[in-house]
Amino acid sequence: MEEDQSYFGTEDIDIEQEIQDLKKKKTSQMELVWLRFKRNKLALIGTAILFLLIFVAIFAPILAPYDPLETNVARRREDPSRDHWLGTDQLGRDLLSRLMYGARIALFIGLIIVGVSGGIGVTLGLLAGTIGGWVDEVIMRVVDAFMSFPVLIFGIAFAVSFGGGLYPVIMAVGLITWTQFARVTRGDVLAIKQEQYIEGARAIGESRFSIITRYFLPNVLPSIIVVATIQMPSAILYSAALNFLGVGVEPPTPSWGEMVNAGSRFMQFRPNMVTVTGLAIVVTVLAFNFMGDGLRDALDPVRRGGR
Amino acid sequence: MLERYIKSKRKRFIIKRVIKSIPVILIATLVAFSLMRIGGRDPARVILGHTATEEMLHEFNVEHGLDKPYHRQYIDWMHGLIFHGELGTSLRWGRPVTELIRPRLPLTIQLMGLSLVISVVMGIGMGVLGALNPNTWIDYLTSTQALFWWSAPPFWVATIFLLIFAFELGLFPTGGYRNIYYLVLPAFVIGLRLQAVISRLTRSSMLSVLNKEYIKTAQTKGLKKHVVVIKHALRNALIPVVTIIAMYLPWMFGGAMITEQIFNIPGMGRFIYNAAMSLDFIAVQSSVLIITIIAVTANLFADIAYTFVDPRIELGQSEGV
Repeated sequence: MEEDQSYFGTEDIDIEQEIQDLKKKKTSQMELVWLRFKRNKLALIGTAILFLLIFVAIFAPILAPYDPLETNVARRREDPSRDHWLGTDQLGRDLLSRLMYGARIALFIGLIIVGVSGGIGVTLGLLAGTIGGWVDEVIMRVVDAFMSFPVLIFGIAFAVSFGGGLYPVIMAVGLITWTQFARVTRGDVLAIKQEQYIEGARAIGESRFSIITRYFLPNVLPSIIVVATIQMPSAILYSAALNFLGVGVEPPTPSWGEMVNAGSRFMQFRPNMVTVTGLAIVVTVLAFNFMGDGLRDALDPVRRGGR
Repeated sequence: MLERYIKSKRKRFIIKRVIKSIPVILIATLVAFSLMRIGGRDPARVILGHTATEEMLHEFNVEHGLDKPYHRQYIDWMHGLIFHGELGTSLRWGRPVTELIRPRLPLTIQLMGLSLVISVVMGIGMGVLGALNPNTWIDYLTSTQALFWWSAPPFWVATIFLLIFAFELGLFPTGGYRNIYYLVLPAFVIGLRLQAVISRLTRSSMLSVLNKEYIKTAQTKGLKKHVVVIKHALRNALIPVVTIIAMYLPWMFGGAMITEQIFNIPGMGRFIYNAAMSLDFIAVQSSVLIITIIAVTANLFADIAYTFVDPRIELGQSEGV
C-alpha cells in the first residue's frame, strides 16, 4: 500500500561498463549482482551504516556507557556533557545508552514485522498465482481491502484491543503490511508460469506442492528480498509511531518512538533528546532505503524504477 | 467508428471496475468489525472503570447490544448502515457516531486537502526541476530533500515543526483549531512526505518521456524546449501522480491521526485515536469503514480517469499493477 513502494531508484546502470565487466571474466549470477550493487555508492554507505547499527544493537550491553534503566534524579534533563555524551532524559537516564538499546528494539521489531508480513504475503501470493481462478480473485480483493486501511489506525485499534505492548504492535503492523509481498509474489509467479520448464515439470507429473517449492519459490526469492528491504524501514517507522502514541513497548524499556514523545515534553528548554532520537530514526531509515534501492537495481535491473 | 469502440470498451471497463469494488468494501466491513473485537477485552470495563460492578457492566453491554453473538452484532451494524444510514451509538460518548463524525470529518478533509496542494505543487515542481536538469546540483538537491522527507518519521517532523515554528519563532499557533491557519503546520508535515513520492515519480516519468523519440523529433523541428516539455512530458507525467495520490489516501488519514494528536486538532484522526484508546468498538469500526470507502472510491476514480487520459491503456484488464 501507500508506504510500500520506494521510488528512490538510484543512478542509472552503465550497460557498457557492465558488458566490460562481464567480458573480463566469467561471472556468476551472484557476482553480477554484487558488481552492480557495489557501483552504487549510496547503497554501499547505507549497508555500512546498517552493519554499524547491527553491531551496536548486538553489543549494546558492552558498548553502552550506562545501564539504560538506571535513573538518577539529581541529573535529570541534562545537556550533553563529558559524563553523558548526549545528555540525560527526564529521569536522569543516559541518553546514549538508551539510544543504543533502542536500536536493538527498533531492529528487532522491524525484523519480526517483516517476517510476519512476508510469511502471510508470500503464502497468499503463491496461492493466488499458482491456483488462480476464484482463489486468486478472492485473495486479490482481500489485498485491495487491506490496502485501503490506514496502517496506523489499523495498528492502534488492533494493538489496543490486546492491551498494547511489543507483540500486539508487531502483530498489528505485520497483519496490515503484507499486501506488497502478496502482489509481488503473485506477479512473479504469473510470469514464471509461462516458462517452458514449468510445463515440462507438469507434464512429467510433478505435484503442485513440489512445483511451488522447487520452481516458484526459488525464482521469486530475489523479489521477496527486495520487498523485504523496502518494507523494513516502513515497519520501523510504523512501529516507532505506535510507540510514540503510547500503545507499543512498555516503559521503562527504551524505544525511539517513546523517547521522542518523552523528549517533546521538555523540548522548549532541552531540545537535545527530541533532536538526537529523531535523527537516529532518520539515519536508520535512510540506510535501509539506500540499501534497498541498490539491491533492487542490482537484482532486478529490468523492472527497476518501480512497478 | 473507433470512437464508438473505445466508448463501449470504456463503459464495460467502468462497470467491471465498479463491481469489483463491492467485495472489497464487504471485506473491509468484516475487517473493521473484527479489528477491535479480536483482542477480547471488554469495553464496558475500560469505559466504566474499575469501580463498576458486574451488574453495571452487564447493563452496559445489553444497552449497546454487545451481549449478542458476533454475527448478530455484525448484521445489526450492516442493517443500520444500509437501511437507515446509521453508524451505531458510540460506547464512550453515548451519542450516535454520525453526529460525532459530522463536525470532525470536514476538518480532516480540509487538512488533507491542504496537504495535497502542498505536496502536488512542491512535488511536481521539484520533479520537473530534477528532470530538466538531470545529474546537476539542482537534481541532487531535489532528490536529496525528497529522500530526507521520505525517511523522517512524521511524528518527529511534527514535533520539531512545533518547536521551531510555533514555540521558538511564534509564526504559527501551538495547537487547537480556529481557522485554516491552524492547519498549515500539520499540513506541511503530511504534505512534505507525500511530496517526496510525487517529486520522485514526476522526475522519473518525465525523464522517460523526454527521452522518447517524438519529443526529440519535436525538438529538432525547432519547437522550443519548454513548449515541448509542458505539452507532452508533463501531461504524461501527471497520470501516475493521480494514481499515487489515490493510493496514498489511507496513509494520509494515518498522518492526520498523528498530526491532529500532536497539534491538538479536533478532527477525525484524533477522534479515532480517542475512540480506540477507550475500546469504543462502534465508533472505531464505523470511522474506519468511512475511511476505507473514501479510499476505495478514490482508487476507482483514479482508474477511471486513466482511461480518459489514455484510451490505449489496457481497458480489458483492470489489474493495474
